[in-house]
Amino acid sequence: MPIIEIANLKKSYGNLDVLKQITFDVNKNDVVAVIGPSGSGKSTMLRSLVYLEKIDDGTICVAGNHLVKDGAYAKPQEIKEINAKMGMVFQHFNLFPHLTVKENLELAPKMLKEESPAQIQQRSSELLKKIGLTDRATAYPAKLSGGQKQRVAIARALMLNPEILLFDEPTSALDPELTGEVLNVMKDLAEEHMTMIVVTHEMGFAKEVANRVIFMDNGEIVESGSPAELFTNPKNERTKTFLKRSLK
Amino acid sequence: MSFDYLISILKPMLEGAQMTVLLFIIAIVVSIPLGFILTLSAGSRFKPLSLIAQGYIYVMRGTPLLLQLLFICFGLPMIPVVGEYLVLDRFVAACLGFILNYAAYFAEIFRGGLLAIDKGQYEASQVLGLNKWQTLTKVILPQMFRIALPSVANESVTLVKDTALLYAVAVPELLHFAQTAVNRDFTIVPFFVAGIIYLIMTLLLTMVFKWLEKRFKFE
Repeated sequence: MPIIEIANLKKSYGNLDVLKQITFDVNKNDVVAVIGPSGSGKSTMLRSLVYLEKIDDGTICVAGNHLVKDGAYAKPQEIKEINAKMGMVFQHFNLFPHLTVKENLELAPKMLKEESPAQIQQRSSELLKKIGLTDRATAYPAKLSGGQKQRVAIARALMLNPEILLFDEPTSALDPELTGEVLNVMKDLAEEHMTMIVVTHEMGFAKEVANRVIFMDNGEIVESGSPAELFTNPKNERTKTFLKRSLK
Repeated sequence: MSFDYLISILKPMLEGAQMTVLLFIIAIVVSIPLGFILTLSAGSRFKPLSLIAQGYIYVMRGTPLLLQLLFICFGLPMIPVVGEYLVLDRFVAACLGFILNYAAYFAEIFRGGLLAIDKGQYEASQVLGLNKWQTLTKVILPQMFRIALPSVANESVTLVKDTALLYAVAVPELLHFAQTAVNRDFTIVPFFVAGIIYLIMTLLLTMVFKWLEKRFKFE
């Protein structure tokens, strides 16, 4: 059974349809890369999964629970519980600038009070070690490089033990030489079988790490398949044009 | 001009300065929280509350503080029927005037601070499962106060100087004693002394805020 089922998502701003009948499933342990030109609705689609965008119609089902069914949203408490299954990493990191790296990681778990402070501390240390930033635990975000910030943002999302991790263009705000360190952390997560949906412009990452690639254009899914299929033998003209431009 | 003369005028002037400092402390301690409540009210989705708060801020910022002080001290008692119950002690009336006026200014400063916070901060909080109250107190407010700090410092320095308006409602403060000495002794020295005392007060205040800014630099 898929861990995320998305059916017939629709959303429009006035006359502009940003999402038209988006339908796809994500299986557990999948790494799905969502690619496509700017303004194709990739980010809106991703954000609607964690209720940062409201859709007009359609169904989103996460781990068997409906966030929204045929356009009707669940109750606020249920929405909260469903959202808790997912972590989100933003293009602009959105770290809390007034908190240190460690405090950024620990704020949400401390507020949710589902674990003891000792457990929370232990996991934040483990995660800092995992992303290689143990020595920056007491630094404020302002003192970190972009790549370090994004690694902290990933660790912060992992603190809540999400079943699924969503990435909204995680490397687009980074200098080219800093994307590698972030992609490596994501690669490690993929190897640990974390379920991920990654909206990205990094074709290399989509090719190497994703097991499925979705190409979106103009608010719809034009083509999807394994990276091998989609990158070497795209069927749709729009996909071909896009890939030709992106892989240059 | 002798040293003895300086000492003799300094004593009452420092007493007056005490009044100045007392008013400053009362005004700042009450008007900052009140200003923040106004900020939240003005931004509230409950329209009547929002309109009342915005109207209040408009009136308080749109009329002179001196007019407001005179109104509270001398105007309120002249209101028919209830006026006789509104005769306040001058100092209490003055405190009230400063608090009500400065709260409006602080409300606008805090609003600016709120506007400066990136919407990504709210989104990150939501995705991390923080509720509205946690988001406000743990994420938004600390950043808002930090952003507002330089403006709050500026406003506080203005408040120190505005305490001289007490002169107009005959509360004996620093300027009052300076003016009395000038008239009595026919010398401008007390004005200089008053100026220096104000400068010392604003200098200390500036240093406190500089320290706060450094302390909460988040770097």
